[in-house]
Amino acid sequence: MTSDIHLHINKVSKRFGTVDALRDVDLKIERGSFVCLLGPSGCGKTTLLRIIAGFEAATKGSLILDGQDISNQPPHKRGFGMVFQSLALFPHMSVARNIGYGLKLRGVKGAAQRDRVEELLNVIQLPHIADRPVSALSGGQRQRVAIARALAIQPPLFLLDEPLSALDAQLRDNMQIELRQLQQKFGVTTVLVTHDQHEAMMLADELVVLKDGAIRQSAPPSQIYNNPADSFVADFLGAANLIEVGAMKGGAIDLFGTPVKSSPPHRDGEQMLAAVRAEHIGLSTVGKDDKAGVGAISFMRDLGAATEFVVTIDGKDLRVRRTSAQVQGLNVGSKVGLTFDPSMVSLFKAP
Amino acid sequence: MRVDLLPTEGGGTYRFVIILLAICGILISSLPVIVVTIMSFSAADNTGFPPEALSLRWYSEVIAMFTTEDANSAQSVVSSTITSLVVAVIVMVISTGVCIPLAYVLARGDRRIRSGMELLFTLPLVFPLVILGIAFLLIAESLRLDIGIWRIIIPHVALVLPFVLRNCLSAMSGISLEVEEAAVSLGASPLRAIWDIVIPMMKAGILAGLIFALIISFNEFTITFFMYTVDVSTLPIWMYSRTASSLDPSTLALSVFIIAADVVLIVLVDKLIAGRASLF
Repeated sequence: MTSDIHLHINKVSKRFGTVDALRDVDLKIERGSFVCLLGPSGCGKTTLLRIIAGFEAATKGSLILDGQDISNQPPHKRGFGMVFQSLALFPHMSVARNIGYGLKLRGVKGAAQRDRVEELLNVIQLPHIADRPVSALSGGQRQRVAIARALAIQPPLFLLDEPLSALDAQLRDNMQIELRQLQQKFGVTTVLVTHDQHEAMMLADELVVLKDGAIRQSAPPSQIYNNPADSFVADFLGAANLIEVGAMKGGAIDLFGTPVKSSPPHRDGEQMLAAVRAEHIGLSTVGKDDKAGVGAISFMRDLGAATEFVVTIDGKDLRVRRTSAQVQGLNVGSKVGLTFDPSMVSLFKAP
Repeated sequence: MRVDLLPTEGGGTYRFVIILLAICGILISSLPVIVVTIMSFSAADNTGFPPEALSLRWYSEVIAMFTTEDANSAQSVVSSTITSLVVAVIVMVISTGVCIPLAYVLARGDRRIRSGMELLFTLPLVFPLVILGIAFLLIAESLRLDIGIWRIIIPHVALVLPFVLRNCLSAMSGISLEVEEAAVSLGASPLRAIWDIVIPMMKAGILAGLIFALIISFNEFTITFFMYTVDVSTLPIWMYSRTASSLDPSTLALSVFIIAADVVLIVLVDKLIAGRASLF
């Protein structure tokens, strides 16, 4: 399979005064894919999106769209549909005029514009609000209108800057699904910025984790989840236990009695960190002879579908999540054995 | 239940105070207008208050002043009225024309430059008007400028700018850069985005600025008193000349006309420009 690179972010760096906002970011985005830029605030993800949109100029590096260098093209010539964090709907225009604005600029007028606006309103499942003022819409409706406005111009790239962060949790979940369905329907190459790892996992074909202006890992979500490149990625993607496991001996470390083999770059004698997700730790009943891997439950909470534990072992607190059916008869204070599947443990050199 | 900061039950303890202050305020600001209006209907030649008998004679006199061309008066009321209106409209156009782009640049630019510029444009408010009048007169005379009506328009623009600029600036401050960027991302050039998005969103502020400019210029007396010439004079100057030695009751009738005209102008500008942001 030959990959079809739509946008190549070619070694882009950006300095604000003395601050490096982005350092040598190199990213190839495939046509029609959904890319999420994920990272904590201040990691440069929004700056990167604004460079793609053309609102910021890169200090170094270039943007290649379909083989053409667009680094010096002004934003209005790029015509990438963008959805802003504040949505930035035009308050003095009706819904139809908001969605039709980009079309009007392209000379699509009269009936043709009306038809296209109507088509988009149907797509976002709000067919009856064309003549309403923007101020009369609910949060979810504004969201959809902002998305429709950006998609109306059939943009080569669809850019979103934390568009769902203002919505409440329930609505956000629904909008994530809807957004993904819309993106697939239009087949538009999409770049979304978010700090919410759940949202990123939900939406992305390709997840790009950024920290301090540099890409830490870029891969499909499941790969990032199961094989994080470093301890930051493991931690940022949530619900991972980071455990200091001491120095490596004989090509393996000892994780509370379970030996975990390490792959080549690490050498004996290096201090190591192990990352294990809460749902990848097993609990077993304890026999009298067991010594290694025994901890005590210091906290538990039944969340319905799953039960969340904190198990204290060797003075360390580990988070464990099990499905509720698996944990009958356990209470706070119970002694439990911890079991690890070595293939689900990621090892990093300790910082 | 929400607890109000001031007690409001049964009108609240402060109700009396609020009503008293409101009455004082309304009386002070409207008393002159009321007195002038009543006296303009007086039948007598003197200006005693309250008038002993009522009539419309001063109104017919005002109408006569406007309809019969008074050849021996170089500063006829008709020409000074026209001058006043022309000056006010030109001042309005120039000041908004200057302030809209200025407010945009200041709001989008460096914060320090903005406060500096605001201070600069507020200076005419701080100077005593008499001194400002003398200053403009000195400039005009020392340069020996023969610029006709502009010798009044230019000082008026300086006087009006701070009001117009302030209104435009506060209108700009509510417009986020993202809205503009949204328009640009949809394909609008930066200028087009300003025209399509920023200006319509500033409308209410621009409108308030226009009204300020119109009224301040139309009623301005102090600076104009230094700047008027035999050829170029405004209505307030004409009225003053009629009352300087003895009060002519026809000027009171004229005042009522001016008040009415002010109100009509405000409503007209508002209706013409405001649309949905209309004040009325």
